[in-house]
Amino acid sequence: MVPAPKKVTLAGENKSVVVSWSDGHRSLYPYAYLREKCPCATCTDAHGTGSRPTARPAAAPGALPMYEDPLKPVKAEAVGRYALSITWSDGHATGIYSFDYLRGLCPCGECGEKAQG
Amino acid sequence: MIKRIHPQEVMKALTAVKDAASGRDIVALGCVKGVEIGDGRVSVALEMPPPISVTTPAGQQLLRAVHEAVEALEGGTVEIHVARPPAETAGASGPASAPGARHGSAAADAAGAPPKLAPGVKATIAVASGKGGVGKSTVAANLAVALACAGRSVGLMDTDVYGPSVPILLGAHHEPSVVEGKLEPPVEHGVKIISMGYFLPKDEAVIWRGPMLHKTVQQFLGDVRWGNLDYLVVDMPPGTGDIQLSLCQTAALTGAVIVSTPQDLALTVASKAIAMFQKLNVPILGVVENMSYHVCSECGHREDIFGHGGARAAAERLGFAFLGEIPLDLRIRTESDNGRPVALDGATPQGKAFREVATALEAELAKAQVAEEMVIE
Repeated sequence: MVPAPKKVTLAGENKSVVVSWSDGHRSLYPYAYLREKCPCATCTDAHGTGSRPTARPAAAPGALPMYEDPLKPVKAEAVGRYALSITWSDGHATGIYSFDYLRGLCPCGECGEKAQG
Repeated sequence: MIKRIHPQEVMKALTAVKDAASGRDIVALGCVKGVEIGDGRVSVALEMPPPISVTTPAGQQLLRAVHEAVEALEGGTVEIHVARPPAETAGASGPASAPGARHGSAAADAAGAPPKLAPGVKATIAVASGKGGVGKSTVAANLAVALACAGRSVGLMDTDVYGPSVPILLGAHHEPSVVEGKLEPPVEHGVKIISMGYFLPKDEAVIWRGPMLHKTVQQFLGDVRWGNLDYLVVDMPPGTGDIQLSLCQTAALTGAVIVSTPQDLALTVASKAIAMFQKLNVPILGVVENMSYHVCSECGHREDIFGHGGARAAAERLGFAFLGEIPLDLRIRTESDNGRPVALDGATPQGKAFREVATALEAELAKAQVAEEMVIE
């Protein structure tokens, strides 16, 4: 069985989601990177209609029109025993990050070498 | 002429009654507190939507509308009980009771866990197979009864919405009722049961796509008053489709029991179900071999119709526990059709076979390591 996260910290250091795994590994996922890797059907073009980022909610009245709140995760929930779903500040919430997939995304040097070797 | 009607039908009819102020129906507003049917009477427990009082014309009009809607079903004399709304304690708790924060649940909690469905259930066990017709429902029903006979508190959730057979296997002597907006599951042979079979006329079919199935699984888990249970046994439909995926996503299953007949064909398909559970991180608790052998009721000659020992060999090869074998037996069939599961009588060889599977399953559950819950902050 793949290692499972023991602890997920949304507001981790360096604007990252920090995951502590059952095998002791610790992964840091920068927000933009994790959002970019969203595995949902819309983001991966599984619908065949072209992948597209979901629309951002309209800026709050009074804010400068070009101002965008920096992206961050608002909420995360366990999906059964095998995955994590994340709701992002841009309103996107359909991604189900299976533990297996999430571990594969770990950007640390050690995991990267493993993936290449 | 009084028709036999279902509390669900009454609820459905009541969705036609709208609260004039908000334009929403009274079921959605949570004004219907309960429906009971029996003795030629249909009783509806109501709460008035907040500003309206029974004594006002608007209140009277609403009561008339409810009466007419229920009477049209011809299920008997209509009785309406109006309850006082609970004292406005909600107002005191401040912003948390704002519209949208339902029941003050964890929805407002930024990173907190979602409210757990069926929180009183200690262990949820799925009974699955790859192939249809191998006896999943028979095994699930008898397993539930055997566990109940061993003194455990047990629920049985029939998620096979296309071919619900649990009400037949356990005999539908009672029906679900609505209590405080939730379904009270009927109890048969000491087991709390919910099944699509209760909500569907005998010859009607469920012809649904995925989202409806997902909703049903969520409701069976979350909108049924399961209470405190040692085990919730889940009878699955065959295959690896929407219902299986929904269940694995909505409930943190404790584990799965795989049912297979001994022949290669069934075992090959069962391995697909095993692969699905492994992908979704659900532990396999063990394998049950059903229709393991047949003993002629006339001469006592034993014949291995589907071969014998295939499931045991497969379980050993894959490293899973083998929980036991159930014979292909006339008595199991007849008693099942009569709604008297054989597991009720532990003295018969058939009943004993199921009791032994239940014992083996409990032993596996005790061994299975409890996965730590993920902490999200």
